[in-house]
Amino acid sequence: MAGFSELIKNFDKTRDYVRDFFIYGCKVRSDFERKSIRTYGDEKRRVESWMGDYMRYDDSVHGRSVSISVDSGHIPENPLYNAYYSKSFTDNDIRLHFLITDVLNDGQSRTLKEITDTLNTEYAQLFDEQTVRNKLREYVEEGIIISEKNGKTLYYKLSEDRADDYINRYTGLDDALKFFSETQHFGIIGNSILKMLGLKNDLFFIKHNYMIHTLEDILIPEIISAINEKRHISFRTFSAKRSNDGDSSGTENQVVPMKILVSVQTGRRYLAAYIPGLRRFSAFRLDYMKTVKKGDTCEQYDEVKAKFDRNMEHCFGVSFGMRRETGTVTPMKITFFADEEKEHYIVERLEREKRCCKLEKSGEKLYTLTADVFDPNELMHWAKTFIGRIVRIEGGSDTVRKRFYCDIARMNRMYGGDEDEHIQ
Amino acid sequence: MNIFSEIYGAYFRTAAKLLENEITDEKTVRETVQREGFRESVLFLPQKLIPNGEDWGLFSRTPDGKLKRITKASPVSVLTKLQEMWLKAKLSDPRIRLFIDDKTLSELNDRLADVSPLYKNEHFRFTDRFSDSDDFYNENYIKNFRIALDAVKKRKIVYIEFVSGHGKKMSGKFVMLKMEYSPKNDKFRAYCYLLRHDKIRNSGIINIGRITKIVDTGRIFRTPVSMEDYFSSRKCSSPAVIKVTTERNGVERFMLEFASYEKHTVRDLETGQYRVELWYDEQDETELLIRLLSFGPVIEILGPQSLREQAKLRIKMQAELIAEYGDEKDV
Repeated sequence: MAGFSELIKNFDKTRDYVRDFFIYGCKVRSDFERKSIRTYGDEKRRVESWMGDYMRYDDSVHGRSVSISVDSGHIPENPLYNAYYSKSFTDNDIRLHFLITDVLNDGQSRTLKEITDTLNTEYAQLFDEQTVRNKLREYVEEGIIISEKNGKTLYYKLSEDRADDYINRYTGLDDALKFFSETQHFGIIGNSILKMLGLKNDLFFIKHNYMIHTLEDILIPEIISAINEKRHISFRTFSAKRSNDGDSSGTENQVVPMKILVSVQTGRRYLAAYIPGLRRFSAFRLDYMKTVKKGDTCEQYDEVKAKFDRNMEHCFGVSFGMRRETGTVTPMKITFFADEEKEHYIVERLEREKRCCKLEKSGEKLYTLTADVFDPNELMHWAKTFIGRIVRIEGGSDTVRKRFYCDIARMNRMYGGDEDEHIQ
Repeated sequence: MNIFSEIYGAYFRTAAKLLENEITDEKTVRETVQREGFRESVLFLPQKLIPNGEDWGLFSRTPDGKLKRITKASPVSVLTKLQEMWLKAKLSDPRIRLFIDDKTLSELNDRLADVSPLYKNEHFRFTDRFSDSDDFYNENYIKNFRIALDAVKKRKIVYIEFVSGHGKKMSGKFVMLKMEYSPKNDKFRAYCYLLRHDKIRNSGIINIGRITKIVDTGRIFRTPVSMEDYFSSRKCSSPAVIKVTTERNGVERFMLEFASYEKHTVRDLETGQYRVELWYDEQDETELLIRLLSFGPVIEILGPQSLREQAKLRIKMQAELIAEYGDEKDV
């Protein structure tokens, strides 16, 4: 049996574990029923190694619980980036990395044969040409090495784009890197540049910081590439509910990708996409997605995209409701109480948070929000942040309105208010 | 082309660091691994770097027992295509102008002219970001931001006039500690201490967008400042204690939404309910309260009593509003 390694081959598997530790903050070994004890132990050890001081242990009645407890607004670097810095490799990979770049360090172009010969004669490292060719090809793809054809012969040279040269030449870029390395999108890439330069973010903290999003970044370049090329994509989704029910096989999806939707309040990111089979738009949670693959070109992409853009005007969050393309949206009106003289900040809050809705003064100390949105449930989750000020709810579905009134009655009982004497 | 690649990895980075010097030694190897690697790397990595027959062959042993690199020169930090594509994408982000002037930005754009951006802003949509974000195109804002950032870097004492959240004009001498950015508000703020007679009077946060005047006093604040002290001066004295039930997928929704908080969770195995302690900055108490209320009866604020009382008051007011204006047939 192979020994423990800090490095990993499969990012997806690790995503699951880190997410569970990080989000639930309370997982014991027995919760990971689908995995062997050894796998659990190795994954936990790896995460501990990456997370350093952020891991927290609690001895509970049902076994030792492991969690990651991070005040993400008060740390300068996302510790989850370490997951990306843990890719396993072969001995040849690391040898060739430093040897080939050293051979080409003088800026001269060389052929495959010259490089292989130099490795043998000057470094006493015997590699066959095929191995060196594969690594060169890989590094050309990565942009580390440039290949140029001269006649029929291919020449290789090291790229002249050096991180330190960029930093020295472009004033302010170091500070920009420090900032963007901790913010969306793809902060991990900025962090990788900082690491090359031996720099650290010592200037910025990020409030409302959902660090877990970085683990989903692995999927997004392929999705963006498919959007740019107007292609279908396929992927598998693994919802927490189905996994908990013992179904770990996931569901295969074939969609036309439209946009990445980012919620900066709920901690979720989604792929908004068109499902040709159902002829409707839907949003798929990125944290439930794995193995994105590009497929065929979508001939009607522009037409679908135009429809999508029109539909987005009626999305309060990410839900397209259960509405089909030909359906209708459900308008809803919510009236709030706000004394504009003394509580102007409430009116300001409504203005800045209303999104696609319309706000108008509808009476003395009354403001009415008109929401022409697909999913009134999303609207109501937000509206409940105004509990204590909601005067009236009109339109929407009966169920949604009823649920709100029932919720308030239940909360009133929960918090020991005088039982719903008026609400009978 | 994938960010999950060994070329960005901690082991490659550690090796590159050690290869910077022609001669090194085992002690330096261990220290570098400790500094650059993961917590347990010192158990695995030194044996791959120090010649022993199982190593990667990047160093040879010298007669005096030191380690000599097999490469001729220091490794170079070549930007990969992925890193350049990311940089190119950032050039279209309005916030880049806070850091880089237009002339430099134009030179950088020229340098990356043949590179495609990794993404365009149109590929993403922030669904619930507040609409009153800072104006990153405003020249005055940019000027103030840069003075504040410079003050953070050099721990300068600055004189600031600004308008508080309640609309009051404020001014004073401040030492700037760090900058904060919120993706929810799309705003920058500065952590600072207000000074009186060159001594720390109290901690504060100033929105960059509310600064009307900021002047460098030419003086540096030399007293050591700990960010931990600053943060703890603003933290709640006791955590919010929340009972989270499984109703409406409450546990998952709650845990995700509050993932950014330092928290301690305990699960009741019989009911599946969680008891969560959340630590928060005192000035964010109202924001926390309204977010908790938005979960409705799925969660319950158990403590501290003051927070529970605030929730109770709002719910009572709401129940009264429903009683007065509610449509009875809805209930």
